[in-house]
Amino acid sequence: MDESSAAADSFENGRYKYIHDIHNGPPEAIDVHRIVLQRSSQKKLLIFCFLALLLFASPPFFFFVQQLNLLTTLPWSLLVGGLFVRLLSQKLVKKESVIILPAFGVQLETQYGSGRTIRRFVPISKILKPVLNECVTPVTCYWSLALIIRGEEELMLVFKELYPPVKMLVPIWKAICAAIDVEET
Amino acid sequence: MSEKGKHRILMVSDFFFPNFGGVENHIYYLSQCLIELGHKVVVMTHAYNNRSGVRYMTGGLKVYYVPWKPFLMQNTLPTFYGTLPIIRTILIREKISVVHGHQAFSTLCHEALMHARTMGYKVVFTDHSLYGFADVGSVHMNKVLQFTLADVTQAICVSHTSKENTVLRSGLPPEKVYVIPNAVDTAMFKPAPERLSNNEIVIVVISRLVYRKGADLLVEVIPEVCRLHPNVRFVIGGDGPKRVRLEEMREKHSLQDRVDMLGAVPHANVRSVLITGHIFLNSSLTEAFCIAILEAASCGLLTVSTCVGGVPEVLPDDMIVLAEPDPSDMVQAITKAINILPQIDPETMHLRMKKLYSWHDVARRTETVYDRALRCSSQPLLERLSRYLTCGAWAGKLFCLVMLIDCILWQFLQLWQPDRDIEVVADATLTSFLHEEMSRDSFFFFSGTIDDIS
Repeated sequence: MDESSAAADSFENGRYKYIHDIHNGPPEAIDVHRIVLQRSSQKKLLIFCFLALLLFASPPFFFFVQQLNLLTTLPWSLLVGGLFVRLLSQKLVKKESVIILPAFGVQLETQYGSGRTIRRFVPISKILKPVLNECVTPVTCYWSLALIIRGEEELMLVFKELYPPVKMLVPIWKAICAAIDVEET
Repeated sequence: MSEKGKHRILMVSDFFFPNFGGVENHIYYLSQCLIELGHKVVVMTHAYNNRSGVRYMTGGLKVYYVPWKPFLMQNTLPTFYGTLPIIRTILIREKISVVHGHQAFSTLCHEALMHARTMGYKVVFTDHSLYGFADVGSVHMNKVLQFTLADVTQAICVSHTSKENTVLRSGLPPEKVYVIPNAVDTAMFKPAPERLSNNEIVIVVISRLVYRKGADLLVEVIPEVCRLHPNVRFVIGGDGPKRVRLEEMREKHSLQDRVDMLGAVPHANVRSVLITGHIFLNSSLTEAFCIAILEAASCGLLTVSTCVGGVPEVLPDDMIVLAEPDPSDMVQAITKAINILPQIDPETMHLRMKKLYSWHDVARRTETVYDRALRCSSQPLLERLSRYLTCGAWAGKLFCLVMLIDCILWQFLQLWQPDRDIEVVADATLTSFLHEEMSRDSFFFFSGTIDDIS
């Protein structure tokens, strides 16, 4: 199967990077939109969590340490720190992708720092429309892309963990709209 | 920001639709008329039950229902600094130029005005009610108002009486206060198509049956009037704690066939109740401005009202009969009104009201206030803090401290999430939506403007 992919578009802002690939291969062109959390952002998040842990856990930890020998506690603390970083990397999202397979459906992927990937597939016939929503929380307001699924009350969020800026969401929204239009005609 | 002198206004209040009342109505009508004048208006209020998030109303009026739960009488929990992040986000993403807060009783309004001042925006406050000076609740409320109004750019009151009340309560210089009365939607409140016969005189009362609205006065007045005038009937719309007293009065004097109690009347049905009557009776004990009598006059009813607060300023002398809030005085006033009734022509009254009161006029006057507010110079922090110090020996220092902490929190927020990280929202243009048919593309009317930002 011959596949040639062209990087159609890619831009970034401070935290996120948007990559758009088109794989031209049989039967039709497959659109891949990826949103990657920048490495600097990932590192910043890790450092921040580590510092926060240090700040909040150190007073009781030092109190505990006074009663024990430092030599025995150091390997334990390193082990705990390592476990913590491992847990965090499992939760931290590295990148999320939207793969549009025309006439079939849309595949949504979430890849975590540890390499674990979660995939969800939505058949094209089940999607009524993709919508750009403004979500209001008690502290902030942000844009999100969601799919209206036929027969279901709840909207399906395309990006579960990341909050990309609306400039990156718009091309994905347009691509999904175009795929649905082609399907309907 | 303001191209060609057009403003981008954020209206903030705890009181907005779906809750119904005078303040909510005022904000809605004022916003619609400002949109027609070409300005952009965004409303911010707290979430009602499961109505939370962004909603669009007629004319493209954007409403943010922020998910802060109301805790007391429709007011958001006053957490001083809790609302700073969301208010900052909304101000930046909508590119707001003026923040307009409504109603002294709304905690969200006070917090929003405080944060807007910290961030350097121009701020306008409208007071809709009269408050006392003596009881504990009023004393605290007045102190909070003093804090907010110490640094407000301009203030608006709905009547001259209200201006006097606000200036006394808050110590604001009177030059900063403008008087812009409320108005009425004369297109909705039209008189009955056919004049009612004068054989039987119907007196209509529509109000919340609470102490403030003088329900106790009604209990004394109605039997006396029924005794003196055998051809008079009463129609009472509205509900409240005092309803029981009115029902008892009905039973006691056997007035079941002469007094109709309609219960709560939704606002959409108010006009149909009003046009069944000849006279409108308002017995409030305090009123900054009374929109109810405007609605009645627009429907062609002669008004009898207690002479309290801003009521004498509302209608011309030939459309209203005033009385002291005393039962015998009110009975005399009703008698006088019944005698004047043959000279009243509902259509003429309605046409006069159309010329006297209109929301477009209110919007134009408010626009002038916004223009003046934007021309005021921005003051440095120290000068603003010195204004708070005049509020009182202890209170002044406390207010300064509150504002300083707010400034520090704002600087911290700017480090955490810089201004340029908050995306500005594209303005939705509704013209294509209104003229196109309901095709699939126009259902999501943003499809026209998304091209601007991509």
